[in-house]
Amino acid sequence: MRGRRRALRFVAGILVFAGIVAAIASPQAALKALQLPLFALFSTSRMVAAYLIGLVFAIAYGHTAATNRRAALIMLPILDVLQSIPILAFFPAALLFFVVTFQGSAIGIEFAVVFLIFTSMAWNMAFGVYESLTTIPQDLEAAGSSFGLTGWLRFRLLEFPAAIPKLVYNSILSWTNGWFFLVASEVFQVGSSKFARPGLGAFIADAGRNGDVASIAVGLGVLAAVVLALDFFVWRPLSVWSERFRMDTASGRELAKVPRYEPFRWMPRFPAVRRTIIARAHPATQAYHRASVRLDRAYASHPNVVRDVRVVDLGLFVIVLLLVVTTGLIGLGQLFLRPLPPEAVGLPWAALLSFSRLLLSYGIALGWTIPVAVVLGESERVSRYLTPALEIFASLPATALLPVILGFSLAVVGSTGGAAQLAAILIGLFSMQWYLLFNLVAGVRSIPQDLREAARSFGLRGRPYWRRLLLPAMTPSLLTGSITAWGAGWNALIVSEYIEYAQRPYTVTGLGSLINQAVLVTGDTEVLLLTILTMIVVVLAMNKLLWRPLLKRAAIRYRLEV
Amino acid sequence: MTEPHPLLKVKDVTKSYFEDGKEFKILDLIRFELAEQDFVCVVGPSGSGKSTLLRILVGLEKPTSGEVLFEGQPIRADNPQVAMVFQSFALFPWLTVTQNVELGLEAQNVPLPARQARARKFIDAVGLTGFENAFPRELSGGMKQRVGIARALAIEPLLLCMDEPFSSLDPLTAQNLRDEILQLWSDPQLPPKAVLMVTHSIEEAVYLADRVIVLSSRPGRMVAELVIDLPRPRNRKEPEFYGWVDEIYSLIV
Repeated sequence: MRGRRRALRFVAGILVFAGIVAAIASPQAALKALQLPLFALFSTSRMVAAYLIGLVFAIAYGHTAATNRRAALIMLPILDVLQSIPILAFFPAALLFFVVTFQGSAIGIEFAVVFLIFTSMAWNMAFGVYESLTTIPQDLEAAGSSFGLTGWLRFRLLEFPAAIPKLVYNSILSWTNGWFFLVASEVFQVGSSKFARPGLGAFIADAGRNGDVASIAVGLGVLAAVVLALDFFVWRPLSVWSERFRMDTASGRELAKVPRYEPFRWMPRFPAVRRTIIARAHPATQAYHRASVRLDRAYASHPNVVRDVRVVDLGLFVIVLLLVVTTGLIGLGQLFLRPLPPEAVGLPWAALLSFSRLLLSYGIALGWTIPVAVVLGESERVSRYLTPALEIFASLPATALLPVILGFSLAVVGSTGGAAQLAAILIGLFSMQWYLLFNLVAGVRSIPQDLREAARSFGLRGRPYWRRLLLPAMTPSLLTGSITAWGAGWNALIVSEYIEYAQRPYTVTGLGSLINQAVLVTGDTEVLLLTILTMIVVVLAMNKLLWRPLLKRAAIRYRLEV
Repeated sequence: MTEPHPLLKVKDVTKSYFEDGKEFKILDLIRFELAEQDFVCVVGPSGSGKSTLLRILVGLEKPTSGEVLFEGQPIRADNPQVAMVFQSFALFPWLTVTQNVELGLEAQNVPLPARQARARKFIDAVGLTGFENAFPRELSGGMKQRVGIARALAIEPLLLCMDEPFSSLDPLTAQNLRDEILQLWSDPQLPPKAVLMVTHSIEEAVYLADRVIVLSSRPGRMVAELVIDLPRPRNRKEPEFYGWVDEIYSLIV
């Protein structure tokens, strides 16, 4: 808690400092910065809208897949593919669709932005719901059935609570993804037309395009403050609260004492605010209870309603699925019936280059995160001082750091080409490293005290300690971290290989820059589609041939069974 | 004396699983009856399918062949006359003791005041007064199972079904709870009218039941159905008690 408060104070300090610097360096920028709170509000609202849609989708999708075995046969593979393909590559297409649908109005762009953020948030949450519902202990399920829990009551008392821990955990992940996409999507160019919506992402991107260092700093500061504030006031309390819903009674293992949840306990500094919120929220919770009771009754008198809704739901899903699949197939057919464009020859080479750069980013990330994770995981003291600082850096999505990273690269490497290469690798690094670090720290922390003590009592130290305890114990979290990190890396390609900075583009050869070229310069949809396809093939191949088998082996050998 | 009112009829229940086209028989032709006032224990070694049998008897699973009738009707899982107590307690970790006990009543749409009164009555009956607002994870194993029992009794069932309810408790707590179950069963003011319990402990079965059904393993077949006519309260140290234990032991091995 002390570390958190220090972190908050640190952020506030940075903000004030950045504000002063900006005001001195450029009064104009300072004036513009006054709009920032409004921009922050706009951006956050988009996130909230996308998140709420994602939440409803995730619960509906996960619930259907978990309770309908036949539907699960198609729903799960679809989710799997959606989760692993780089969504950002589809954004130009989605944007065009929405802009055309809404005839170029701002609403269309808003829809496109929210849709993009939604696609970055929904899939893992849906998986979380599915996993939670399919792993409800058999006895608990039986208790629900034998005491007559059905329909809405079953959902309210059994299924939804059971899904809460994974839903909250995945929401935090989704929210992080969302920022990454939000910043990338608020400003977008298709051909010669530029689409922009006021927001923090657009502010930072514009500042970068103009090379306005002061505005970049202020924008990043505000972004970090918003991300951290939401984390502090929303996600952390939620994740403490979600502990209450963990299934530990079945395993018989005593977990660490979970603090009893009290509403708004985390606002110790503002007792008045807290009291007001509780008082205000009271009618709402009462209303919720009344509505619940009414729903229970309604269900009791119309037992078929839920089933009918489910049938309609499934029907709609199948129709949408058929539409998507047929249009996709027709598109593909058209694509391959025509002779391939000359650019297609360069695709494997571009894929190889992109992959190599990501591999380099991944290597660097591994190189520093493994030792740091061990230190953070083993030493409570170091962790208390270092974690807040790391969290501040991690709060900045890599997409927001584009201008900073490119500026840094230009300062380090003289040549334009070299700077673009370095920037692409660094952006890859920044999108990958935090997933690795935080997963690895969790892995080190999960090593049971017994094992540590056993290792110590047998005198394991240095290399043997790493080889026999640390590395094996970290393997599962290393794999999950790597999979998420690579997912983020592929998405980062779209923004890292083609950067506009101070009125000029910096590009390197690769899949991401091919996509950008096709969208921004040539407007060649064929090349665009082929590039996206190549990327998807590479990503899916890597998942099937590398990560899946590794995960399977790790699950057998390296799981710390309790 | 009139004939006791029959509750449960188990007619030639057989259960098989099919894997790779091969049939694995778990239960083979189980048949018995259970009436009001009965306390029946099913004992068998592990692999005799006793838990599966109980799940079938309360309607959580369908038998491959045969049928289970409760008061003449095919059994349904949500039958409010039958309640279940689980080895793992199966308490909802996010609900308080009271909310857990109210579970079945809520499903039956019992109005809130009546629900709370009934929950309080049975929380008192199992000796958990003062823990109404605790969450399961704050309770010891014995207290958790008391909640499980109160939850089952709260729907005032005719038949209480228990799946090894005491085997994850320490011996002392288990013995206390056994005596309490006996007390509840013999109290005409309180539910249940009859108890059906599955256990792997022969001593427990002889201590509690007035009828013991012995199953063999793989597949579970009925080896014997014994009427234990020892007077209550029973004393584990008496030679008659050990006579029964030894007899059942020899039937299983």
